[in-house]
Amino acid sequence: MPSVSQTIRVKVLFFGRLKEIVGHAEESLEFSDAATIEQLFAHFATRSPELAKFRSSLVASCNQEFAAWNTPLHSGDEVAFLPPVSGG
Amino acid sequence: MSTPLHDDIYKLMREPIDLAALARHVRAPEDGAVVTFDGFVRNQSHNRPTLYLDYEAYESMALAKMREIGAQLHEKYRIHRVAIVHRLGRLEIGETSVFIAVSAPHRAAAFDACRFAIDTLKRTVPIWKKEYFEDGAVWADGELPPAPAATPRAKRAS
Repeated sequence: MPSVSQTIRVKVLFFGRLKEIVGHAEESLEFSDAATIEQLFAHFATRSPELAKFRSSLVASCNQEFAAWNTPLHSGDEVAFLPPVSGG
Repeated sequence: MSTPLHDDIYKLMREPIDLAALARHVRAPEDGAVVTFDGFVRNQSHNRPTLYLDYEAYESMALAKMREIGAQLHEKYRIHRVAIVHRLGRLEIGETSVFIAVSAPHRAAAFDACRFAIDTLKRTVPIWKKEYFEDGAVWADGELPPAPAATPRAKRAS
């Protein structure tokens, strides 16, 4: 089916226990340009099923701002998956 | 956001925090009070002896969120200067992990702002600590920062 869909490149960061599950802190990947943060997470959860358990106790950020799961991705975005914070 | 520069300090660091220098920094002749918060490593967690802690941060975002807290303090309270510094890496028992200093002409604003700063930091700044015990290590229970429910992000007009 003909489509004008392009691929975009996003940077993805993992912190805390998520980093331990995924095995690294940072990854750059290409994705379809209609994708959302939710779909990006699903991509990683397929690869590392352990991640899926944490979906309800995570927040996402996009370009250093907390972001809703339905936020659409744009090329160059820096997305991070953040476990509950415990600074202080 | 047009936050004026207040000669504040917002910092993440791996070396010990110089508490006295920060308290001195925020203090000025026009002020009458400095309130500080010194958060340091406790020797136990839920009655289990702690060996040490290891802190990590999403550094660029953590700094941005710390500056946001500072901007909120200046909006909400009649204060003068703010210093918010958080330590990263391995911290031993008794070492300061977070230090906040707020100066103001009068004490009430300094107390209120300092309290608001540490409470907000603990809920919204992306920093994590791992607690090490004799028999293993765990990521500390934390707080889930409030995130937008289902709205597209505000900053990008489509």
